[in-house]
Amino acid sequence: MTAILEAHALGMQYGRRRALTDCTLNIPPGHVVGLVGPNGAGKSTLLKLACGVLSPTSGSISVLGNTPGSGPAQLARVGFLAQDAPVYAHLSVADHLRLGAHLNRRWDQDFAERRIAHLELDPAQKAGKLSGGQRAQLALTVAAGKKPELLLLDEPVASLDPLARREFLKQLMESVVEHGTSVILSSHLISDLERVCDYLIVLVASRVRLADEVDRIIAAHHRIVCTRRGPGELPAGIEVIAAEHTDRQSTFVVRSDTPLPMGDWAAEPLSMEDLVLTYMENADPGPRPVAEHSEASR
Amino acid sequence: MIWLTWRQLRTQSVLAAALLAAFAAYLLITGTQLRHSYTSDLASCQAQNSCFGLLNQLQDDYNGPQYLAEFLVLAAPALIGIFWGAPLIAAELEHGTHFMAWNQSVTRTRWLAARLGAAALASVLVAGVLSLLITWWAGPLDAIYGNRWGTRAFNARDITPLGYAAFAFALGVALGLLIRRTLPAMAATLAVFVVVQVLVTAGLRAHLMPASTSTTAINQATMSQGIRFDRSEAVTGPVRIDLPGPAGAWILSESPVLNRAGAVVPTSQVLTCWSQMLNQGASAGKGASPGFGSLGACLAPQDLHVDINYQAAARYWPMQWVETGVYTALAALLTGACFWRIRRLRG
Repeated sequence: MTAILEAHALGMQYGRRRALTDCTLNIPPGHVVGLVGPNGAGKSTLLKLACGVLSPTSGSISVLGNTPGSGPAQLARVGFLAQDAPVYAHLSVADHLRLGAHLNRRWDQDFAERRIAHLELDPAQKAGKLSGGQRAQLALTVAAGKKPELLLLDEPVASLDPLARREFLKQLMESVVEHGTSVILSSHLISDLERVCDYLIVLVASRVRLADEVDRIIAAHHRIVCTRRGPGELPAGIEVIAAEHTDRQSTFVVRSDTPLPMGDWAAEPLSMEDLVLTYMENADPGPRPVAEHSEASR
Repeated sequence: MIWLTWRQLRTQSVLAAALLAAFAAYLLITGTQLRHSYTSDLASCQAQNSCFGLLNQLQDDYNGPQYLAEFLVLAAPALIGIFWGAPLIAAELEHGTHFMAWNQSVTRTRWLAARLGAAALASVLVAGVLSLLITWWAGPLDAIYGNRWGTRAFNARDITPLGYAAFAFALGVALGLLIRRTLPAMAATLAVFVVVQVLVTAGLRAHLMPASTSTTAINQATMSQGIRFDRSEAVTGPVRIDLPGPAGAWILSESPVLNRAGAVVPTSQVLTCWSQMLNQGASAGKGASPGFGSLGACLAPQDLHVDINYQAAARYWPMQWVETGVYTALAALLTGACFWRIRRLRG
């Protein structure tokens, strides 16, 4: 099967500001992908490139094997829910479903109506009068109702309260299972995504820092506590993500794609949240020259 | 796509149709009255051979409604550009709804074509109906006036309003697409549209087609038609006489009084005849208006003339077409720019 998203040295620049730098990804199909990163890391840019609303300034991207937004057929295969879930304020809920039905050949009116009924939305209500959560649900219904093979959701739960977040994600997972859709959803909070994602991309300062299946990420990362020493004194094959030193002790967060060798240290697994936060705090990818990095983060 | 286009235009269309219907009803009622008065006035005054005063009175009676109606027709294209053109795409970009629109199974180009096409058609239709109404309504008044080149007449009759509406609408859409915010786009549309209208009306129009020149000799017959006579204070200054041009023509300029060789005649050369006319007027008494006829008779032996630069009455329709064509071409250019821009727009 073709990859959900394949990117080679993908870059996006607005004037002199780099929103995305040298992004290379290959996401296998059938995943619910979490896209995490601090605000302004380039999450929205990556999603907009993937749906074809933006065109890259360098590199290449293909989604489900095609150029994003290259025609009606490609548009039909990819659903996109923009940040803040924009809807037509003066159109009613029912009008939005009609919009979906008129503009999409594969539209599933039955699914959309069931979903609206389940959400207890009044079809006659103007979308402008809905709460933030209801608006997000309506926009998701329109995006999912066209039965895309891939759903791209940009911060879909950002405006929701904790209860509504849980409900939204539960609903999302139900419709994903029902249609067998792949999903990429972004958030600046890993706690939102942890429960639903099985693949994770961490974007920091316009660069991809981490992209892999959640299980493999968890298996490869460890926190090592040992007597004080420099990172160079650790065995080869271990990549140090973060280091912290006290007078007598050193704490490292390390990545090792092979099982961690035994040593004179205590090793423990990290929670997803700790791991992502570590990557976000240590935005500077060690081997890269500092000058290039400061350019990228400006 | 047609459904969405209609759904988004529905409220505005209904509002516009209601306003148009009210305006049409008003014009149809007053227009019928006007025609009735015109026919009966004409019949009675022709019998007495004294039409001037009576028809002037009719013009005066309908001056108010005519101003109002012409103002509406002149304002309609600007309103169309501001309220239909500018928000069409700008509002979507401002509220982010273009993300929803552009992620259905319809390309941006098709989406723009549908949204633009329907609203542009509606704009031209509204302008067309308005123009048709006013042209019919003002028919008798235009006939009395005998000249269709005035700004209010030329800009608010026949086909020019259609060109204005198409241009204003396309301008609004293009500026909305460029500025991406509704209110600034509306303001910019109004500003640019007014500037273009003023430039075309006051500047370009006279040069849309080559003007004609006629030479009117100064003698008793021509001078008795004279409207105004201006001599300079200085005896070396030029003499200006306003003579009526060809019937129904648009007078672009009249030269000062020239001699046979085409040189400007100084005031000193007409002073003798001028004082002679003044004396005649004084001896005829206050009430009598001497007219310029005697002055013309006195000046005739000098073989003087005035050159009149004008667009003939027969040019009215060609000029209407050319100006409408210019505006339509501008509208087409702007529309092309919109399609070019939308493909490159960063969402």
